[in-house]
Amino acid sequence: MSSAQPLLEVKGIVAGYGSVEVLHQVSLEVREGEIVSLIGGNGAGKSTTLMCTSGVVPLRAGEIWFAGKRIAQAGSGVRADLLVPMGLVQVPEGRRIFPRMTVLENLMMGAYTRNDPAGIAKDLEHVYQLFDILKTRSSQLGGTLSGGEQQMLAIGRAIMSRPRLLMMDEPSMGIAPLLVARIFEAVRELNREGLTILLVEQNARAALKLSKRGYVLETGRVTLSDDADKLLVDPRVREAYLGD
Amino acid sequence: MAARFASFARGQLIALGALALVPLLDLALPAAGMESLQLAGASRSVVVFAILAIGLNIVIGWTGLLNLGIAAFQAIGAYAFAILTWENYPFQIGFWPALVAAALIGALAGALLGAPTLRLRGDYLAIVTLGFGEIVQETLKNVEVVTQGTKGINPLPAPFGLTSDRAILWFYAYLAILVVVVYLCRNLEFSRMGRQWFAVREDELAARCMGIEPDKAKLKAFAAGSALAAVSGALYAAALGSTAEPASYGFEISILALCIVIVGGIGSITGVLVGAMVMLGITDVLLPLASDKLQDAGIGSTANVFSSPNNYKYLPAPGRPRCSTPSPVSTSRPRDACWSRAMCPAGSSPPA
Repeated sequence: MSSAQPLLEVKGIVAGYGSVEVLHQVSLEVREGEIVSLIGGNGAGKSTTLMCTSGVVPLRAGEIWFAGKRIAQAGSGVRADLLVPMGLVQVPEGRRIFPRMTVLENLMMGAYTRNDPAGIAKDLEHVYQLFDILKTRSSQLGGTLSGGEQQMLAIGRAIMSRPRLLMMDEPSMGIAPLLVARIFEAVRELNREGLTILLVEQNARAALKLSKRGYVLETGRVTLSDDADKLLVDPRVREAYLGD
Repeated sequence: MAARFASFARGQLIALGALALVPLLDLALPAAGMESLQLAGASRSVVVFAILAIGLNIVIGWTGLLNLGIAAFQAIGAYAFAILTWENYPFQIGFWPALVAAALIGALAGALLGAPTLRLRGDYLAIVTLGFGEIVQETLKNVEVVTQGTKGINPLPAPFGLTSDRAILWFYAYLAILVVVVYLCRNLEFSRMGRQWFAVREDELAARCMGIEPDKAKLKAFAAGSALAAVSGALYAAALGSTAEPASYGFEISILALCIVIVGGIGSITGVLVGAMVMLGITDVLLPLASDKLQDAGIGSTANVFSSPNNYKYLPAPGRPRCSTPSPVSTSRPRDACWSRAMCPAGSSPPA
């Protein structure tokens, strides 16, 4: 195992909604510079794991550590608005862009917690370079973009927060295959530039091809974890998630 | 961000300019040989309700919280202002300090109502705020020791020593306050706080992902909106020289403010200014004018119809019993010629 301390460490977390317990002792870790994917079927608890990490869903047990700080434990956690400046940024499921703000305003919302105009301008240029369509559409309302373009906007908006760890929830959901390829390409590019990424996906094959390591989540438990290329050839994964 | 200030939008300048010109019509109309419309008083009401609606717009238009009890905060502002300036109370701190104090008390009241209720969404928040509106009215009515019950607190000293015959000057003083409010809100709209409100309105979860705490943002919106409503109440009371009875801050006022916000285009300050002119133009100028004219014409007053039927050309004239000799137009339907027994002059034969 790597000697450095992981950037994100999820230790045996238990969480749920009302009387339903969704996560039973989930543990995973993401090291600096990795793409890690979390795959699993519907209702396995993938999104809940992200929600716990980003401080939206409270923990019932376990701990979450980010960049050497404990950010959540049973009964308490760092508020979402303080996690973003720490560099823990989520691209929520279903894109969730601001429909009645322009593309540029959406991107600037991403920089909400920042106060360095020069850095913000530089990151904006970077986002435009990554997704040139956003530059063309910068004065258009977010709600008028296509699904794929909205996903690009959601990713761009998250980058504007200058994350250390980007958590992406189902970035390929409901998007034309051509754009999915474009978005995964962008994820790869971001990672090459040094961004650490935790990817939650139902599109297991595409996610694992992109990733260094992967976790398989089934009904709230991590059932498999290994290097992504090993998971891709693992018969259990192939049968359950890759449709072979 | 460094101190950068947004100037007025063009629409806002046009709307404010148009409003500034309205009372001048009063001077122009008599010169043109027409009757004065006494527009200065109505224009002053436009200012009062524009400020109320700008406050409501922050809550509904910018933050997306349906507040149906904004009149309650207007009442709180009016009574706070009255208590701080009334001659029978020891405070008498003067117009400007009382106006600022009313705004602060309004903001505090907004935050107090907001804190426990902002977890509610949509309709439920609307119901709670509606209920709060009624509670405030009833409380003001019943705490007579402080509020003088249904009599209202009066007389209140006029601001700047203005008397009611200086209505035009008074209007311009209020207009100046409105200009300041519009300027502040315009800058609020493009501040970090404004962005925060928009984000919460658009998508709370996404706002959270941007590092915004939605509950705090909503609380600030509630406090800001209530503060402006309270300013509006203070100006209302000062203009009237009285808080008037608590029922003047009822549900209709909340709905009027809502109409102003919606008529002008929800979320827009220019829209609120236009909406206030349209809505108060209807309720305070056109309706009284129309009902005067209608009364002059006897319409709506049946007593006139019977006492002087000669005024009504469509009625059969006495001695000319048109009912029995139907006009060519109505030959096919003779009953139409005379539509009720009572309308037929004596001597003519009523329809079968």
